[in-house]
Amino acid sequence: MKDKFKLYLLPFTSLVFGIFILMLIVYFINSLKIFEKEGLAIYFTNVWNAAEVPEEEFYGVLAAIYGSIYTSVIAILIALPLSISYAIFIVDYAPRKIREWLIIASDIMAGLPTILYGIWGAFILVPFLKKYIMEPLYENFSFIPLFSYPPTTGFSYLSAGVLLGIMVTPFATAIIREAYRMIPHTYKEGLYSLGATRYEATKVLIKYIKPAIVAGTILAFGRAIGETVAVSLVIGNTFNIDISLFAPGYTISSLIANQFGNAFIYEYMVSALFAAGLSLFFIGLVINILALYILKRWRYETF
Amino acid sequence: MKRSKIKMNIITNKRKLKEKIFLITIFILSFLTILPLFHILISVFVKGFPVLIKGGIDFLTGTLPPPGQELGGIGPAIVGTFLLVFLSSILGIPIAVIAGIFAYEYPNSFIGRGTKLLLQIMMEFPTILVGLFAMYIVVVPLGTYSAIAGAFALAIIIMPYVAIATEEALREVPKDYKEAAYSLGLTKSQVIFRVLIKIARRGILTGILIGMAKAAGETAPLLFTIGGSTRVFFEGIDKPIGAIPLLIYNLVQQPYENYHQIAWGAALLLLLIYLLIFIPIRLKLREIKI
Repeated sequence: MKDKFKLYLLPFTSLVFGIFILMLIVYFINSLKIFEKEGLAIYFTNVWNAAEVPEEEFYGVLAAIYGSIYTSVIAILIALPLSISYAIFIVDYAPRKIREWLIIASDIMAGLPTILYGIWGAFILVPFLKKYIMEPLYENFSFIPLFSYPPTTGFSYLSAGVLLGIMVTPFATAIIREAYRMIPHTYKEGLYSLGATRYEATKVLIKYIKPAIVAGTILAFGRAIGETVAVSLVIGNTFNIDISLFAPGYTISSLIANQFGNAFIYEYMVSALFAAGLSLFFIGLVINILALYILKRWRYETF
Repeated sequence: MKRSKIKMNIITNKRKLKEKIFLITIFILSFLTILPLFHILISVFVKGFPVLIKGGIDFLTGTLPPPGQELGGIGPAIVGTFLLVFLSSILGIPIAVIAGIFAYEYPNSFIGRGTKLLLQIMMEFPTILVGLFAMYIVVVPLGTYSAIAGAFALAIIIMPYVAIATEEALREVPKDYKEAAYSLGLTKSQVIFRVLIKIARRGILTGILIGMAKAAGETAPLLFTIGGSTRVFFEGIDKPIGAIPLLIYNLVQQPYENYHQIAWGAALLLLLIYLLIFIPIRLKLREIKI
């Protein structure tokens, strides 16, 4: 290599790669043990038999995978309308003076230590949701499967989903806002000069940034699925697969957070949790690459 | 003639109504978006402030009391958080800045492009996975929880923020400076380290500060790495240590009222540390990546 400078930088840069690859290897090697014992049953059954005798141990993390997806979908359903509205509001309607403050506010929210969401969620959001949302719905509509679980503690998929929705909204907002702001002014002027109302104009413009909204949604989903401590404090940490919003459950990350501390006592539990982590690893990888690809292609095609 | 006019009017009214509904929806949803932020900030202040007042200086310097008794303090966690931010910065920032320079200088090479993609992925990566990894790599061989294990995990989390900020800050430096520097006969490393880095220092510094704010606030990477000591301050970087976020996480799960109060006090302290780092950089620089 002629470029000496590149040669000097390379070791450090490779270190970043090295760490990432080493991480993948560590997850693979540690998962092998449970794969050899159970095969793919680790992902497709809902059992958690932590036994003293290694032969009796059996682990299946289906409940956690289900919970991760369920809560993240709730989060997205909440975050999407909120973040689109907020982006439109900031770009089109907010007075110039408060616009900057609104952006700062959502940036503060996006970077806020997640444990602060956690303590707020556990002590304030959960009691609120239990009293004003879950109990009324359960009392009146418990024949609907979604509302059929008695909300005794309030720790549930719904609480986790709502908290995650609040957490990822500012993050999705930033991506959508950025895209919405970049729409050339001539488009807006053209629409208004055709006599479009603000509603009609916005409808067209939103369609124009659809790829950015899709990418923002996917990235927000990725954040929601990877979040650990805030979720673990409000989801109830129970091996459960239930359609009801009010039932407690687990997510992959909260399962790891909760069980890893005592996993070393057992023969296979560490490996089972690494296997759970491995699934999260791949979900994270696929989601991020997909979203980055969509964003990049959209920027390339339109600008 | 008249008939069509009436029809037109109905259509216009319908459009106007839709417009109104649209605007009201936007306002309400936007309000709902920022409501939780203010609620969280106010709650943390309202619940945490009395604790800080009641605990006084002891709250900052004392250690965790037995359950169900007085307030005590969170001294070890505060010391731990500052130490972890310091250690993880030392470990992570130099590598990250160089990786950022590499991605800037060789944007079309295979490794350059790969570096950028990898950094973007790492930024969004579930932090609990990093924690588990650090546990396996550092805690298991050392045989004990330690400050250095936590710092290792946090360094991995800081890296993408600093590296991407470095790359972007360098990219924003006008090409003229670079060409002028080369025309003076400087070598590549001189151009970058003596000229470009200095022009881009503000953007890089912002990235570093955001990384540090992240390091101070993360919980999941510390769960299985630092041990979370609450009564011992510091015995060496190869020994267990506390951290404010981890302390809050552990106390919230306890059934004791005084522990919940301590958790709120610690939450306010963490919020203040975060805002202290975040607000100034946010006010000075308009666009930053979270």
